Amino acid sequence: MTLDEIFNRVKPQLVDALGVDEDDVTMASRLQGDLNAESIDFLDIVFRLEREFGLKIDRNELFPESIFQGDPLFLQNGMLTAAGLDELRTKMPYADISKFEANPKFENIGDLFTVELIAKYIQSKLK
Amino acid sequence: MLLKDQVAIVTGGSRGIGKACVLALAAAGAKVAFVYKGSEDAAKALEAEIAAGGGVAKAVQGDVAEPATAERVVSGVLAEWGRVDILVNNAGVIRDGLFVRMDAADWHTVVNTNLNGTFSFCKAVSNQMVFKQRSGRIVNVSSVAAEHVNAGQTNYAASKGAVNAFTRALAVEFGSRNITVNAVAPGFIETDMSEAVRNKAGDIIKKMIPLKRLGKPDDIANVVLFLCSPAAAYVTGQLITVDGGLSLGATVA
Repeated sequence: MTLDEIFNRVKPQLVDALGVDEDDVTMASRLQGDLNAESIDFLDIVFRLEREFGLKIDRNELFPESIFQGDPLFLQNGMLTAAGLDELRTKMPYADISKFEANPKFENIGDLFTVELIAKYIQSKLK
Repeated sequence: MLLKDQVAIVTGGSRGIGKACVLALAAAGAKVAFVYKGSEDAAKALEAEIAAGGGVAKAVQGDVAEPATAERVVSGVLAEWGRVDILVNNAGVIRDGLFVRMDAADWHTVVNTNLNGTFSFCKAVSNQMVFKQRSGRIVNVSSVAAEHVNAGQTNYAASKGAVNAFTRALAVEFGSRNITVNAVAPGFIETDMSEAVRNKAGDIIKKMIPLKRLGKPDDIANVVLFLCSPAAAYVTGQLITVDGGLSLGATVA
């Protein structure tokens, strides 16, 4: 399935889960920054994607939590360490972290969670 | 009909405040499944009373303190009625006694029913309300005894205080799903639970209540019904005290 085909099936799920307009959802939309997703919305999105694509999604795989536990190996002074960035690359191989790694402030990590990330993740699962 | 086509679950529904809640919700048009532990005759009679009045109610036996009960009750309701709009966690017990003489069983019985039973039922309806319906009303029946404590009720006060805190925290999580979570704190209500205290000190207690009477189960059910109704759509995370003014702590001269 192409990314565009996946996107077209992900979009209505996000519209339903987040109560946003279809026009608001683009590949570049950030779930938190642009679509105002709360933590419970992430769970909701996972359930909907599982149903839509007939997949079993490990929530920790799509939205890896290891980084968020405050482990000093991964996080120091509000910045991701080199090990933290490695962990991100390992856990989220489909994420584009090129912009984030230039200034890996933890408070900006939400910017990684875009609609494109979801689409790429689904694509990797469908293979 | 205020609650036409809605589905409600009430725990501890065969007697006292729970029974009044079942009657009020059914009279407002809701289909009501109510859980009872031991009072089978009372439960069957209530079921029949509501059916005779043209309402729909179903009695389900179960102990809310047993972790598996909630899942069984809720899945039964979903299989039969397809949704659950309202949950009233009312089942509660007391095991009063001075702390130095209270054994662990008295503590755990009260916490398991009053607090853990509330947890189990909220948990059991959560997927349905949060992800499938994106709507719901949860009302936890607490007690003024959480904030205005009595000697001999460390277990009961702790369980109800925890229910109040749980209510507020859950309201925050469920808010974006259009699910309200509130608690009602009854004062002295004429029920089997308060009978012993009423017999001993009923007249003294009445003097402490500005409205000069003990509460009736309907006084609580009316507020529960309000919290379940469209009129209360913007109320969440609140503890509504219904005690005739008892907790004001005033001396009435």
